[in-house]
This record gives sequence, structure tokens and C-alpha cells, in this order.
Amino acid sequence: MKAFLGVDVGSVSTNIVALGPEGKVLHQQYIRTNGQPLECIKKGLTQLKIGNPGLEIIGVGTTGSGRQLAGIVLGADIVKNEITAHASAVIQNYPDVRTIFEIGGQDSKVILLRDQMVTDFAMNTVCAAGTGSFLDHQAERLKIPIEQFGDLALSSTENIRIAGRCTVFAESDMIAKQQYGFSKADIIKGLCEALIRNYLTNLCRGKVLEPPYVFQGGVAANKGIVAALEKELQHEVIIPQYFNVMGAIGAALLAEDYIKKTGFQTRFAGFNTADLQFVPKTFNCNGCPNVCEVIQVDLNGRPIARWGDKCGKWANAIVSEPCPDREALDVREQQKVLA
Amino acid sequence: MKITFPYMGSTIVYYKIFELLGHQVIEPPRPSQHTINLGVKYSPEFACFPYKVILGSYIEALELGADTIVTSGGNGPCRAGYYNEVHRRTLQSLGYEVNIIVFNSIFEDIGQFWRNLWLLKGKNSWAKLAGVLFTVYRLAHAVDHLQTIVEQKRAYELKRGSFTKVFEEITERFHKEAKTLADVDRIYREGLAMLTAVPRKDVPEAQKLRIGIVGEIFVVMESSINMNIAEVMGNLGCEVTRSMCISKWVDHNLPNFFGKSNSKIIKASRQYMEIEIGGHENENVGSIIEYKYLGFDGIIHLMPFACLPELVTQSITPQISRDHNIPVLTLALDEQSGIANNLTRLEAFVELLRSKKLHKEIA
Repeated sequence: MKAFLGVDVGSVSTNIVALGPEGKVLHQQYIRTNGQPLECIKKGLTQLKIGNPGLEIIGVGTTGSGRQLAGIVLGADIVKNEITAHASAVIQNYPDVRTIFEIGGQDSKVILLRDQMVTDFAMNTVCAAGTGSFLDHQAERLKIPIEQFGDLALSSTENIRIAGRCTVFAESDMIAKQQYGFSKADIIKGLCEALIRNYLTNLCRGKVLEPPYVFQGGVAANKGIVAALEKELQHEVIIPQYFNVMGAIGAALLAEDYIKKTGFQTRFAGFNTADLQFVPKTFNCNGCPNVCEVIQVDLNGRPIARWGDKCGKWANAIVSEPCPDREALDVREQQKVLA
Repeated sequence: MKITFPYMGSTIVYYKIFELLGHQVIEPPRPSQHTINLGVKYSPEFACFPYKVILGSYIEALELGADTIVTSGGNGPCRAGYYNEVHRRTLQSLGYEVNIIVFNSIFEDIGQFWRNLWLLKGKNSWAKLAGVLFTVYRLAHAVDHLQTIVEQKRAYELKRGSFTKVFEEITERFHKEAKTLADVDRIYREGLAMLTAVPRKDVPEAQKLRIGIVGEIFVVMESSINMNIAEVMGNLGCEVTRSMCISKWVDHNLPNFFGKSNSKIIKASRQYMEIEIGGHENENVGSIIEYKYLGFDGIIHLMPFACLPELVTQSITPQISRDHNIPVLTLALDEQSGIANNLTRLEAFVELLRSKKLHKEIA
């Protein structure tokens, strides 16, 4: 079966989606990144291959903070930012949507749309207090698995207010509330409300939020947060079926769009990519006092990509050094397709 | 007297004033991570980002042997007016012996202004001083005009980086060869020809994206600390126009002989900002509106983190954006800002503008 591959490499999770004809999700994976995006991509590809024999990838899109690395490793046809990817995925399923809330592990966004077009957006800037990491951290402190957070929050009937501006202050406020004798459930509900309050005041300041609302990202799994958001907005919010892999779906849709528009063959490096040895490394360039930290990805000992330099002398130098291994791989893949 | 100056934008202009008057000039190095680290280390944490960068570059210049700093003052409620006094004290406490010459507005303290001018004049005749000032004035306009062309045409260059390279060559020639007014005019004309010769691709008018950059003068003008935004946007395929450049700043501070070039912009801003609040707020607000009516597709508003005048602009921009139907992206910059995050924002902003333009085409 023919499918488009979408990969969203985020700080907390790496999501892989295979999109069949008419945008049907054939396969989806949500893998914890744990700081090892390359391993995650390889693992995901292997899983995808095992789970879907006979799958033919005809287009690849990547997004997320690790989109460049993923794009290089996979041979992506299109590498897009998260805002565009998330918006495309939502528009396909909910064409009338006006506001998208997205809360992920380390960043949160709000995207405003009109007539299926992004008109405004915001991403968190200074701190991570309005994101999933905040909850993760507090869950660890309270020794409650994050998966049970939502149900516990819903079981509380008390209203307690916890300072959510900054994780450190939230923690001391939470300890104070514990000392007063509030139950864990009450505190968790307070935390959920603090996160939403922070998210709405920081990110959505000065923006006119209009329904229909769609809420997605890993944090949307948390019923406590959803309840807090609905309470604050005084309106129902829609949680898409694949709320935690929407970025990947968007990337796959963008790849489909690109391939259909241009009529190009995909540059997908093939499932064999999982067996190749990609080695990312960093070094400091001492060419000027900026001392940029340059990131380089090696394939079988040869650099195939570099970024991070302000002046571009390392990134641009790579173009003239084609990688024989990758080319050989491309030829093998093409022969397979022809056969 | 070994003169240095704050590093902002086309520093060749400041360099030439002192060089042509026969002073010894120590050019500060282009701000780098090292400059920022130095500045941050010796500044109060909540000082403005430009303050920190300028302090860092003063220290670097003093280490290179400079003993005199020539800078401009500031007026109004913006903190820039205090920079030189606080810089002076900080540098003194660090053990540098330095003389800071501050040029304030001629109307503020006319005696001080003449004394400063006398110092700068040195042994030159008044006629020579006037000649040099006029030459440099023309130089500022020439450099800014060439740079404007680079920032607009870069979007269409066939080989990435070719415009930057040519512009660097031209600047280098100004640096080495420009001694008289005739030199300036000659290099300017040759520069124009060199830029016209850069190979570019043809892009249909409907696919061109024009972006205006407004904001605090230092972060708008100094590419080393604004993530080189003009080039980044150029590489994303956008024509860029910045609201601030040195020649505009000079014109703005000249006595009103010829009628201010920006009076229209100031007038446009009055609807949103009735009074002067420091910095270049009226220019910024007015420029957003002007850019819209010049057919620009979007505005990027740059501000140093916690800059007071810019915070006011930031809070007005949603209203302007709605009233005039023009998307505005505000980016706050300081030593803490992460480039990757801002690049994502810029990329998404360009997508937004593209799809908006496409939509308009279809409709």
C-alpha cells in the first residue's frame, strides 16, 4: 500500500505516522524521545516496517524541533515548522476551526485561523511553566504517575489556587498547600488550573479566541487540563482522535501536498536507514569570536549535514561533498521500486 | 586621542568622520558572543540588551588601546539617555581611564555641543570640518541605499550569499578608498553596477513577499545581535526593508531646515500614540501603517527584552494589526534568547504571509 510518512521529532516525544489514501491514519507511534532522536527514528521505522509489510512510502515530511536532523536521516521531501504542520492537520479534520491550542512537552502554542488559513500564532518564549514538563515535574514530586493525573484532578471538589507563573514558585506554593493539609487530588486540580491560567495569560494575551476550539498535544490526554481549559473558556473544546500525533499527521499531509503539486519522486532514504550508522556530533568553530557550536551528522564517517554556524561557512560547505553511501542507497532503493 | 565609538549598523560612517579629520581611530570589533559575555558580566541584570552589548564592545575597544569614546546622548523617557553616564562609571570602576564625549541634541546644551565640536575639529579648519561632515553625510546615504538594495534583492539571488559577498566588497572599498566626496560618489556608482550584475531569478510579482522591520534602533540596525534577521528573511525569500538606518537617524536629528522626511509617519502614528514616550515609538507605529499602504505583506517588530518604549508598541500592535489588516510578529531579543525557537517563528510567519497572499490571489 502507498503511504505518506510524517515524522515529528519533539523534545519529549517522537511521533511517526503513516498516512494512507484520503488521509487515513494507517499507523501511528508515540515514542518518548529521551534525548535520543536518532534512536527513536530508527526504532520507529523498524516498527513501521514490521507492522505494515508491503508499505510503500511515496513522500516524507518532518517537523518538530528535531526536524532538520530527521529530514536528513530520512531523506525528507519537505521539512516544515510545527505551526504549519499542526495547522494543516487540524484544518483537514476540522475545517471550521478558529483556534488551536497545542500544549506539548516543552513548548506550547496557540494558532488562530480564519477560512482555513493561519492568521496569527504565538509560542511560549521565556519559560516552560505553561507546558507539559511543568506537570511532569510536579507529578514526580507528588509520586503520582502522570497518566493518573487527570482522573485524580476530576475527583477533587475543592478549589485551591496555586501560583503557576514559574515552576519554582509553583513548587513552593504546592508544598505550602500540602502543609495546610489539602489532599493530593485537590493539589493536582489546582496545578492543572495554574497551568491553564498561565498558558492563557502568557500566550493568548491580546488575542481574540473564538470557537470552535481544538486542543491537542500530549497534554490533551490529561482530563484535568481539559476540564480546566473548558472552565476557563466557558466553552467546549474538541480533542482530535489523534491528538498526540497531530504534528506528524500535518507533516505527512504537507509531504503529500508537495509531491502531488510537484510530481517529484520521493527522496525517502528507505527502511534500510534504520541500519545505517548516523553519528551526530558537535564542535566549536574558532574562526571568529562567536565560537559557534556547529552540529554535524556523519554517515559512515563522512559528514552529510551541518548546521548551527552563524556565518554559514560550515553549513554551505556540505553541498559540495556528496555522500557516496547515500547515493548508493538511493540507487538500491530505486532499483527496488523498478523491480 | 585614540577614538572609538559604539558599534551599531554601518560603522564605516562613524569611522570615516574621525579618520578624515585625521584622528587615530580604534574600530571596535563586530559584536560577538565574547562581546555579549563581557557586557552581560559587567552590567546590571535588568539593563537593556543594547546597553550590555555596547558596554562589551567599549571594553573590547579599550583593550585595543582606545582612550576616548564618542557617542550620542538621548532624551525623553527611554533609558538610552543614561547609557553614557552609567557606562562611564562602570568603565571607571573597572579601571579604564577613558574620556567619553557625548553629543546631545544641539538645542539641549549648546555650549557643550560647541566644546565637543571644537575637540573633534582639532587642528582642522572649520571649512575642512564642514567638508568632512558633508562627505560622511553623503557616505551614510550611499551605504544605506546600497544596503537597502541588497536586503530587497537578496530574496531572489541565484547563489546564496552572493549579495552579501558583493556588499562586503563595496564596504571594504569605501573603507579603503573613500577620502573625498568624489570618491564616495564614484564607489557608490560602481557599487550600484556591481549589485545590478548579481545574477537573480525572476519571480512573478504575485509571489513576492515584502516585510518591514521596525523596532528599537539598536536591534533593528545591528545584524550581529538580531540573528542577522535581514539575511535570514532574505534567504526565506522575503524582501526586507528596515525602518531604521544611520542616514535616517541623522536626518531625524538634523535641525528642521528642509522639512522632516518622516513627518508623514509621525502623523500616522498619532491615532495610536498621542505623546512621545521615548525611543522611536512614533516612528515605529507610523512605519507599520506606512508599510501597509506601500503594499507590504507583514511586519516584524524587534525589541530588546523588557525595553519600555517597545513594550508599549507591542501592546498596541494587535490593535494596529486588526485595524489595518497586516500581520505583525514581535520578537524579543536578549542574551538569553534561543535562535532555534525564533527561527521556527520566522519560518511560520513567512508561511502565514504566503498562504494569505495566495488566498488573496485566488479570491
